[in-house]
Amino acid sequence: MAAKSSLLKVILLGDGGVGKSSLMNRYVSDKFDAHLFHTIGVEFLNKELEVDGRRVTLQIWDTAGQERFRSLRTPFYRGSDCCLLTFGVDDAQSFLNLGHWRKEFAYYADVKEPDSFPFIILGNKIDVVERQVTTEEVQRWCCDNGGHPYFETSAKDATNVAEAFEEAARRVLALEDRQAHVMPSDVVDLRRKPRSSSRCCL
Amino acid sequence: MAETRHTLSSRCSCFFLYDRSKVREEGDLTRAGIYYYYPEHTPLDLQELVCGQLAGVSRCVSEISVSPVRLLRLRRSKYAVRMRDDFLWALSCVNDLPDVSVCEFLDQIIDLFCFYNGSVRHSYQLHTQEELAVRWAHYLSHLQGGATELHHIFTCLTTIDYTHIDPLLLLKAALILQACQRCPLVLAGCILYRGRMVSTQMSPQLTMKVMVHERETYSLQEQKKPASGRSSLMATPHYSTTTTTVFLKPYELHTLRRPLVDNTSSCRSESPERPVKPRLLSRTLSDTPITDPSSSQLLASSPDSSLSDDASFSLCPSLASTPFRSGMASQPGEVGAAESHTHTFASEMLLFGGLAPGPGEDGEQERADVSAEYQNHSNNNHENLRALRDGEKKEEEGVEQANDIRERRSDEEEECVRVCDQHDVALEPMLLYEHRVRGLVLILLVEPGFDTHPNAKQEVYHSSMASLNGLEAHLRTIPPASEIPVVPYTFAHYDRIQNTLTTNMCGRSAGLQDRLFVKATALVHSQFSHEDMLQEAIIRSAGSALYATRTAAQETFFVQHGVPARNSGIPNSQDSAFSLPKNLPPSSNTF
Repeated sequence: MAAKSSLLKVILLGDGGVGKSSLMNRYVSDKFDAHLFHTIGVEFLNKELEVDGRRVTLQIWDTAGQERFRSLRTPFYRGSDCCLLTFGVDDAQSFLNLGHWRKEFAYYADVKEPDSFPFIILGNKIDVVERQVTTEEVQRWCCDNGGHPYFETSAKDATNVAEAFEEAARRVLALEDRQAHVMPSDVVDLRRKPRSSSRCCL
Repeated sequence: MAETRHTLSSRCSCFFLYDRSKVREEGDLTRAGIYYYYPEHTPLDLQELVCGQLAGVSRCVSEISVSPVRLLRLRRSKYAVRMRDDFLWALSCVNDLPDVSVCEFLDQIIDLFCFYNGSVRHSYQLHTQEELAVRWAHYLSHLQGGATELHHIFTCLTTIDYTHIDPLLLLKAALILQACQRCPLVLAGCILYRGRMVSTQMSPQLTMKVMVHERETYSLQEQKKPASGRSSLMATPHYSTTTTTVFLKPYELHTLRRPLVDNTSSCRSESPERPVKPRLLSRTLSDTPITDPSSSQLLASSPDSSLSDDASFSLCPSLASTPFRSGMASQPGEVGAAESHTHTFASEMLLFGGLAPGPGEDGEQERADVSAEYQNHSNNNHENLRALRDGEKKEEEGVEQANDIRERRSDEEEECVRVCDQHDVALEPMLLYEHRVRGLVLILLVEPGFDTHPNAKQEVYHSSMASLNGLEAHLRTIPPASEIPVVPYTFAHYDRIQNTLTTNMCGRSAGLQDRLFVKATALVHSQFSHEDMLQEAIIRSAGSALYATRTAAQETFFVQHGVPARNSGIPNSQDSAFSLPKNLPPSSNTF
């Protein structure tokens, strides 16, 4: 039952106003509120789902995009299994900032190998008519930065939202499977421990 | 199983409820009138002796003086007394609590009982004395538990430590409450964390009452928790919501319901009346300067003073919780006028609070002027919205009375009692909705229809859940305030309007100095409550001096340690009691 389903922490990052909270609300409660105010710090919701026959609980962490909330949100990056980098297709700057978000996440979440960490790129607000970012541009960026999957979503119309989160769950599970395959559970992991302890000494 | 915990912190040494209507004839036994007696193991003979005598004296004194008795002082103890209908409550305390605190304490217990059970007469018709005894014991133990002795002296709310929390989180809490009010059935709410108040939209009196419910459900949850109790960030949080019936006094409800006009208009975002600000709340967030810690602290803790320059907020029902603001919001349809009033009013309040304690007649004159204006504003309001000064004046008139009447601070309570002394007020049943996320609790006062409404509950639940989860996660990561810097002074700042206390002596173990501070504070607080004109006081011992000052809105107590006491014997600015250190914490010198 609940004990069996594993908890996956997924975090939404991106500029303020690109629709991170709306994506979470659409996916978890299937609601859309155009008058949401800025998120302060972090918020989260849990959603149970079944991916490829496995029950998982997705814990979706929504964060504040504004710079002034930075110190409130960064402590909660740690322990994330997947990071959804979000931008608005109607906001070119939010797309240009994706790199910064990726860096900020890798730094505060203390990701050992950012290149193999499951990032997913979400271009939200495709319901808006005046686009500033083309699909090709994003796909090129994704290719250049480690081949992250890209989803074009609309929290307002519920387009592609569930697909994106399910993909996140799938990626995390796939990664876990790979790691479990590489390191059988009865083997002590000598590589990781000393690293973390040496970090403490610094 | 009534809890008769008698810990060190217990203030109450005796409390009883007595029904005089049960003892009319010669042959009637006194014990028939005793509904509840604390401590519960007291021999019945002794109970009869105390109840019989106090009831007799109270009746005699109130008939002679033609006013209800509030305090009976015996040689070694004193009893706060309340008489309502045929009921008589009396309470006496172990330690030397000021008169005013004992009376407050008694009022709080009675208020609590009526809040959760409705009218006393009715409750005793519905339930057995044993059932209700458990509740009296519960309220007694709640009011005595947890808080520090200073809190008991001021009978104030226990809040989270505002000096150790990011003010943005207080803003977050306030916004959660406002978001809940988008549902028209929600009147007001408050957020508590581990039994302490984080943010509230209700009056201090109401907040105090709803906090009892929180503690009840918290201990229930603690019992259910498995022994391991490992709660990591990653664990699935357990949510629970409950609703329970509570009873509000007509004026409390009136105050809460009054801004309903604005409330409904803000619920329908398509409302033609306000096309100007489609993104009301986000606008507020981006435009409110929140970088200054002191101002943002005010944002959450006293919304009526700091947000008054935002028109959208002055319409907000949450602000109607304080008497001052409710006065302003009472003119329906005059939004602009109400707003401009608010402006003048806010500045008046500043003036009022910031008045230097003027010596002699000048200061008095100024104070009187301000309060006169203040009265003009609130003239046409409900009686409980009376100005503080007004209440004080009334008291002056009554001060000559033979019995020891000490009525302070809560004017609405006073009014209520005047009414209650004649007959039981009709209490209105409402619902208390509670949503708990671990140690964090959202409590909302909602209309009775909330429970049966097809989707109101769902909507409030879903719209607040993510934010509550987040706020809980934030508050959990704040380290406990154990590392309070040791400073060479102790202060206590009491906010009479919000009924909160800020002090730097909370976390420490009570040493001799602290005990002296508490004792001196109690003494001066008592003195302040007796003497309306008293604005400053100094109490000295051989080694130290406590300086205290007050306005209509606050009282501040201060003592500096380790300085050679300089005392010229007459008021002198060179005295050590006046030598404040250079960097006081903001809470004690911003006012």
